[in-house]
Amino acid sequence: MSLAKDLSNGIYRENPVFKLALGMCPFLAVTTSVENALGMGAAATFVLVCSNFLVSLFRNLIPSKVRIPCYIVIIATFVTLVDMVMNAYLPDLHKSLGIFIPLIVVNCIILGRAEGFANRNPVLSSLADGIGMGAGFTLAMVILASFRELLGNGTWLNMSVLGQSYSSQPLLIAILSPGAFILLAFILGFFNVLENRKGGGR
Amino acid sequence: MGEMIKLGVVLMLVALIAAVALGLVNSQTAPIIAVQQEMAKQEAMSRVALNLVQDGDSPAFDSIAVEGLENPYASADELLSVVRVTNDAHPEGIGFVFVAYGKGYSSTIQTMVAVDSDGIIAGTTILYQSETPGLGANIEQPARLITHLDGLDAPDCMLTKDGGRIDSMTGCTITSRAVVNSIREGLEAMESAGLFDDAGMVGWQVDPPPEQDESIEEAPAASDSTMEETPDVGAVSEGGSL
Repeated sequence: MSLAKDLSNGIYRENPVFKLALGMCPFLAVTTSVENALGMGAAATFVLVCSNFLVSLFRNLIPSKVRIPCYIVIIATFVTLVDMVMNAYLPDLHKSLGIFIPLIVVNCIILGRAEGFANRNPVLSSLADGIGMGAGFTLAMVILASFRELLGNGTWLNMSVLGQSYSSQPLLIAILSPGAFILLAFILGFFNVLENRKGGGR
Repeated sequence: MGEMIKLGVVLMLVALIAAVALGLVNSQTAPIIAVQQEMAKQEAMSRVALNLVQDGDSPAFDSIAVEGLENPYASADELLSVVRVTNDAHPEGIGFVFVAYGKGYSSTIQTMVAVDSDGIIAGTTILYQSETPGLGANIEQPARLITHLDGLDAPDCMLTKDGGRIDSMTGCTITSRAVVNSIREGLEAMESAGLFDDAGMVGWQVDPPPEQDESIEEAPAASDSTMEETPDVGAVSEGGSL
């Protein structure tokens, strides 16, 4: 596969959330606002690229029987490094993202790509895959977060869109957990319709 | 057997490298983080104490040990510590800063509060919270609940539905109540310890705070308590106990 294909793979064809249904926990939990979605996406993408790189680099050195513990140690190390460095040098960003960073360890997209892609592909492809998957994850979160923030708070990226009269009595369920499930179902249904229209839908 | 040792050695090496990398980075970042947190604390104190001093006057802070100060935050495993605010004109003190700890919906909310020497709230800022994003977390946003606390004394520092003068934020009564009650508890403890001048506290005697815990049980029926409440109403009663 060419690098461009590896890169674009994660954005639509194998979008981690809409097509692979990975990473649902953080996906549903942090999409209450577009700002949170972008922050979580950026942090997850960074860890994804780093872990894909290392896993791919050492793919021939790590015995397959202990690969999962090794991947988890690698991922957890990167997450902790990001947490500490961000806390020291970018305290403002750390304050707004603080609660999401430890969540990245349990984001199964990262382990999924280490296991499913990086451990059998060369370094450059793995880097491209990490960037593509990260972008796909971020995009998916921004889409759901846009609906939730717009319906549940009347704003988009903290900018008032639907006006004060809506914001004072918003559709609160959209920003609560049940709203996340309901809106996710609509979005997944939309993608399935698209797939079926194209023909060859499984 | 030989393979198991080999696997063990590999795992140990991976863990060792990770531990060394984390240790190195931590030794670099820990002092910077500590300095930053101290600076953030100083900055927060200056910010909440802004209304206590005249323009351009810079307040000084020193921690004081208060005799007979009861700790209202024992249930949250925290300690009430009081910082005296002084300036050049009033070396005996112009007010106090303390941190209130209240159990909210999903975190213990830390609110830094400045009070003048009469026990009137002069400024508040949320130091830490991890409440529901989009709901309780909005408590930090300007023009929301915390900005309406200025100018209140302990009896008024209570939600409207509990008999006080602060409207709770829609959808996050637990969060609002945690902040407001924790501040009031701190104020009452400081009042009991005799920290405030009596002159400004006339209302204290005339209008005792209706602080029965029973009022909390009415909460779910109140109009603006929404879904966030329901799973966890019992947790509030801890916030109400002094």
